Amino acid sequence: MLAIYKKELRSYFTSMIGYVFIAFFLVIIGIYFMIYNLMFGLANFEYCLSTVTFIFVLLVPLLTMRLMSEEKKQKTDQLLLTSPLSARSIILGKFFAVFTIFAIVMAIICMYPLIMSLYGSIPYASAYGSILGFTLLGGAYLAMGLFISSLTESQMVAAVISFAVFLFTALMEGFANIFPTDNKTAYMVFSVIVLLICLLLYHLMHNYTVSLTIGVVGIGGLTAIYLLKPTMFDGSVIKVFEWLSVISRFDTFSAGIFDLSGVIYYLSIIFLFTFLSMQVIKKRRWS
Amino acid sequence: MIEVKNLVKRYGDHTAVDHLTFTAPKGQILGFLGPNGAGKSTTMNIITGYMSATEGTVTVDGVDIYEEPEKVKKMIGYLPEFPPLYPDMTVLEYLNFAADIKKVSKKEKKQMIGEIMEATGITPMADRLIKHLSKGYKQRVGLAQAIMGYPEVILLDEPTVGLDPKQIIEIRELIKKLSKNHTIILSSHIMQEVSAVCDSVLIIDKGRMILQDKPENLSTRLGSTGGLKLTVKGGRDKVLAELGKISRIISMEEQEPSGEGMVDLTVYCKENDDIREEVFYAMSEAKLPILEMHMIRMSLEDIFLKVTNKAEENMKYSEENDSENDSEERQSDSDSEEHQSKNTSMEDREPGQDDETDADSINIEIKNDNKEGDQNASDL
Repeated sequence: MLAIYKKELRSYFTSMIGYVFIAFFLVIIGIYFMIYNLMFGLANFEYCLSTVTFIFVLLVPLLTMRLMSEEKKQKTDQLLLTSPLSARSIILGKFFAVFTIFAIVMAIICMYPLIMSLYGSIPYASAYGSILGFTLLGGAYLAMGLFISSLTESQMVAAVISFAVFLFTALMEGFANIFPTDNKTAYMVFSVIVLLICLLLYHLMHNYTVSLTIGVVGIGGLTAIYLLKPTMFDGSVIKVFEWLSVISRFDTFSAGIFDLSGVIYYLSIIFLFTFLSMQVIKKRRWS
Repeated sequence: MIEVKNLVKRYGDHTAVDHLTFTAPKGQILGFLGPNGAGKSTTMNIITGYMSATEGTVTVDGVDIYEEPEKVKKMIGYLPEFPPLYPDMTVLEYLNFAADIKKVSKKEKKQMIGEIMEATGITPMADRLIKHLSKGYKQRVGLAQAIMGYPEVILLDEPTVGLDPKQIIEIRELIKKLSKNHTIILSSHIMQEVSAVCDSVLIIDKGRMILQDKPENLSTRLGSTGGLKLTVKGGRDKVLAELGKISRIISMEEQEPSGEGMVDLTVYCKENDDIREEVFYAMSEAKLPILEMHMIRMSLEDIFLKVTNKAEENMKYSEENDSENDSEERQSDSDSEEHQSKNTSMEDREPGQDDETDADSINIEIKNDNKEGDQNASDL
């Protein structure tokens, strides 16, 4: 794992992407820090962070697009996969490397509340709590980006898909309010989600039986619920959309509340997507 | 030692590897020979654990690749068809990385990298970025990576592609040197390479094994075609008349003369019938000097084509003579050490003579078409 970690980290700094990411990130946070905290004199650093969550959508694809896709394109995955490395150490090495780049940004940002303290008393707990939440949010996006990169051979495709997915997760909360709350819509929305899962599974496994079974069982279950007990769908669409909305989880942090469920939520996303990336590597065994 | 049993790989309807079974004994070089798309790379990818097989088992030293992949992968070094290099690393950085992921201990690492760079001849390139290297050097860096950690088994997929002749010889020497302590599987579609390096050759086509034997046995097993290629100095009619007296000659065929006042022809006899002496005395009595004479043996190319092109073979080899023409034609291109040709030169060869083999081949090709008539003419 350490070998992969070192190699990835070095490649971020030999190819400039690491510097560009860190610099760009710091510039944007710096601008908002100037406006909110220094010019308007707000003592809450978390406000600044809550306004810059959108930059993940723009910057994370830049960082994660090449992680796995480049290995496939250069055929260097043959080196990694025929070496005595486990899929876990390959993925974790890569994840921690990309996370380190992001952590460098966060380490620098940790100094900002201290700068503010020169001008008055600062609620350190909520400031650093939100920085932790922000770090985890970033980690969740990096894990998703890593997974998307492992699905394709092309950096551009990985970047575009990551961008689309991240944009979707950022706008999810807004979408939830547009959708009608009636049960029929809920039924349709869930059916679409089941179909998407089936397509993804098929892409991963190339196995008709498994994906079809899951599709049939899923849609069948939904139909049964819709016909027998439609009240179960009440308000469920909004719940699901909120659940999928990675960014909105950060709202509680930016309100100055340290939300343990949010921490667990982000950690589970990181776990889920690194796990899925490992499965993409291992899928050669069962395809 | 590698044991492959009943290996099958299917991509949808397409069967890339079809019930392949073979073993590679320790300390030997096994050559995979087959046309492009025969399933050589796929087989190697399965043995190294890069891909899964649809059916069948692969064991290395008795350990199954699916049950303990990490243990097996530690015993295997692999140079894939395209060397897996990171263009933005220097050679030294790359080899360090390769040593790390192959779990070479820190103590041994530095010395091992030095040794391997020396052996593959890339020491002068140590601090260059891989993207700036030529194809030959890239190939060597890939080879260095495959040897890293001195695994028991080394798989090389077309290791000499893109190298110049000097480098090819160097790499072959290196492979031979390595084979003393390692089991090596090497794939190639170049016959000379396989025959020059390998202890055992495995010919595969369309995913199926066609035969496995030692390179020198292959030629005797399928080889002798019963024919002589002759260049005689003298008048055409006289030569034909003299040869016509030899009853063991079944048929003769004339080629375009390779020089002024010379007769070039191929004479055919029964398989395993050595008529060289008789021809020699017949010619010497008639004062017709033989400038060149050698037996037609099948080269690896011929064997390869013969076994891989079954359908074509049936058509081509339905007539005995036909096959002999074909083998002869290709033989003139292939290197001579392989088919142990016997050149009986009474005079020094003319310098340009070798170059004319190509022209010869073309002529044979043309002759083949109306061979029937020719044969009748010279049939005695």
